[in-house]
Amino acid sequence: MNVDYPIKEIIQRARLGRKSIYPFKNEKFKFSIFGATIYQENKRFFTLDDIIITPPQFTPLRLKKAIELVNREPIYHDVETKSEIGGFKTSIPFIQSSMGSQDDWNIVSVYSAKACAKKGVIYGIGENVASTWGYDKRINDNQPCFIERILSYLDNCKEDLGGVVIQQNEEDAFDELWNKIYSDKRLDQYIQEGKIAFEIKAGQGAKAGLGGEKIVDRMTAKRLKDKYIIYPDPDSVDAEYYERHSSPDIFTEEILYNRIRKIKNDYPRVKVWLKTGPYRDLDCVIDIASKAGADCVVIDGKEGGTGMSPTIALQDLGLPALACLKKIYDARKRGVTTSLVLSGRLYNGSHLVKAVGLGASGIAAGRAFLISSYAYPLSEKVISSNLYSNPIIRAIQKILRIPNEKSIQFISNYIETVEIETKMLVSAVGKYNIKDLKNEDFASFYKEIAQMFQIKYIYESEMIEKHFEKQLFDDFKNIYPNKS
Amino acid sequence: MQSQKELFISHELFSKDPFEIVSNPIFQRIYEIYDKVSQYIREFLNKNGFLEFKSILLGPVTDPGIRGAKQITVDYYGKEYKIMSSAILYKQFLAAARKKSGKEGKIYFFADNLRLEPLETASMDRHLVEFIQVDLEIADADHFDAMKIAEELLFYVISRVKENEKELKMIWEFFQPYWESRGLKQRTELKLPKLPLKRYTHKEAVDILKNTIQENPNYFEQIKRLFKIEPKKISYTTEIHWEYEWLISSINEEPFFIYDYPRGARGFYDREYPDKPGILMDFDLIYPEGYGEAASGAAREYEINKVIQRMKETGERLEKYKWYLEFLKNHGIPTAGFGIGLERLVRYICALPSIYLTLPYPKIPGIYNL
Repeated sequence: MNVDYPIKEIIQRARLGRKSIYPFKNEKFKFSIFGATIYQENKRFFTLDDIIITPPQFTPLRLKKAIELVNREPIYHDVETKSEIGGFKTSIPFIQSSMGSQDDWNIVSVYSAKACAKKGVIYGIGENVASTWGYDKRINDNQPCFIERILSYLDNCKEDLGGVVIQQNEEDAFDELWNKIYSDKRLDQYIQEGKIAFEIKAGQGAKAGLGGEKIVDRMTAKRLKDKYIIYPDPDSVDAEYYERHSSPDIFTEEILYNRIRKIKNDYPRVKVWLKTGPYRDLDCVIDIASKAGADCVVIDGKEGGTGMSPTIALQDLGLPALACLKKIYDARKRGVTTSLVLSGRLYNGSHLVKAVGLGASGIAAGRAFLISSYAYPLSEKVISSNLYSNPIIRAIQKILRIPNEKSIQFISNYIETVEIETKMLVSAVGKYNIKDLKNEDFASFYKEIAQMFQIKYIYESEMIEKHFEKQLFDDFKNIYPNKS
Repeated sequence: MQSQKELFISHELFSKDPFEIVSNPIFQRIYEIYDKVSQYIREFLNKNGFLEFKSILLGPVTDPGIRGAKQITVDYYGKEYKIMSSAILYKQFLAAARKKSGKEGKIYFFADNLRLEPLETASMDRHLVEFIQVDLEIADADHFDAMKIAEELLFYVISRVKENEKELKMIWEFFQPYWESRGLKQRTELKLPKLPLKRYTHKEAVDILKNTIQENPNYFEQIKRLFKIEPKKISYTTEIHWEYEWLISSINEEPFFIYDYPRGARGFYDREYPDKPGILMDFDLIYPEGYGEAASGAAREYEINKVIQRMKETGERLEKYKWYLEFLKNHGIPTAGFGIGLERLVRYICALPSIYLTLPYPKIPGIYNL
């Protein structure tokens, strides 16, 4: 299957940090002849990239900001990006998604934890981590266990910024993960400080409607046999790999409502988050979660990343992220105030600005953090290879990818690029607080999308003229208030 | 005395010389009361047709409905088994089986329970990790039948324990300086409660709490000071949090019931009124004078379709409850019951500053001692 994730782009960001914001490394031309590209890939469905940000000439809020600053002109770094999401304060509305137990991720997840903590970004821990790698003792010497992941974050957290979001699926419930956390002395102080959220996993973009899918080796398969459905039977069949399936869980409107209420009842000192997928009844999911008092709903579009999913599921299950953003947009129109986070192949400042401007409280990314943490020399080639079919590449990977503290810097660099881009784009529309973004700041190349979000269609001249007349009239009134 | 009083509060009593404490005549009197209370409970239950079963320790699954407390897992020949956090699932099974055999379906355990309670409970003076719960179940009964048994049981134990009032007075006097230091009067007499006990619905209880706090906002400060926690929000849709349970207990002079809790507040086994969705057929028996919860009970959900729905609401995996679900599907009948904490009852009778003083080897959440 063709992997079309922008791996090179992410690696550039992770390696070079803010230097990667500019297109310096163009070796084809001698002179600087940069400009907007007019080509686009042949896509199957619309994405957030089909929306553009439309700066105005007239920027009264920039004038206001200048007056506030007194002695200088405002620039992009004056943009306030601090936000509150799901009961946590964050330096930028950008979240490291709850990524689970996949081994290539688990091994670097502690570095990502440190980078996110340092940057004041919310950090998620996905399902199956404790049951796969151990709660507070390592099951595998090379793989950090659950408590290492959570403490790598919490011990490095800035005082008032960030928070950690912990998933528990049915299998984790079997091990009572949340109860363990709630009575763990090492975490008590953080629970007291309100730094912990429990996240119900009710879906995932890459396999909407299906449960967890993973490929494991025989030893792991034998160990997990009691808790998961394993194929083939590792006790009697010697296979190259084993499929580990978990169930998709069961929800009705009533079950979802009451499950949220129950968590609020049983664990009153933590926040309650819901992670859901690209379902057709998302409107209802959002309303129920909001009514039940969830602190945040994370909605993962079909382009969302995964450690493993059947090809057919990746191809044909669920709504794209842009359609999910529309559900968020509609929820805001209905008056929903609960934090709503969008994810699904969103990885740059532009995605963040568009999602937030159209109603989301923030965006979450997973793969971008994974790739960033492996931004070592030569990693482009290795990461792009098929993980499970080529044993030679797998062996080379092991040699090349010895995770170390450098990953912290790579991930910090990556977060920083998203932060700078966000600030640049917000300032470009003449605003200095990310919360001031509105649909007036966006337009689309396509009429359908313009209609969806009540934004402008870029070639709509009528709209442009009307706006022009109104603006002129208003300005006239402001300058000459007595001449009506 | 002053230094001992400090020790009672700090939970460090047993970290110095436990033998010194356990051999103290006053503490020995507490242990005697503990023994007598156990006898009186057995007397009452046996007179009323209940059959005692040996307490169960291990099983593939145990009570999950224990507000944030953690269960303990042990390796059972390669499988994960749980140490019982309560005997709830087995009670229903035994009461139904006894009924089916043609006997009166009334059973009980002196159940050993282990719960790794959240650390915040250590300051509440009424949670132990290891404790005994007298856990009973009645076939073909509802929560109102169970409430009647609960109040009669309490009445019987108090009327019998009053025969030991001389010993009790010595215990009360011993702890008097502690209560005085908190600006409270120590008890001089154990009154027999008037039956029937007062019964508040959960909604009425929440209203009482809201009004009490509105009239006297100092209670917030008192909660913060006494329990070193930030008081949570009072809500009609959740359990009454421990600090408020203390408050409503403090402002009452006789034991009382709170019943009809909201659905999100309890485990999947508390039955929902078929004609009042969202309200559970359950109750708590609460001691007065700030001693808090005595017993918790309910009519049981026994219809398989409802139990499965409720299990999913608590995020449970059905496979884990295989034997229980199969039992309900084939043999489920209406039952009701409750569990009354033995150490809490002894603490109430002896008017002790904290529950851990009732045992010679107490396990307080998060405290490491013998």
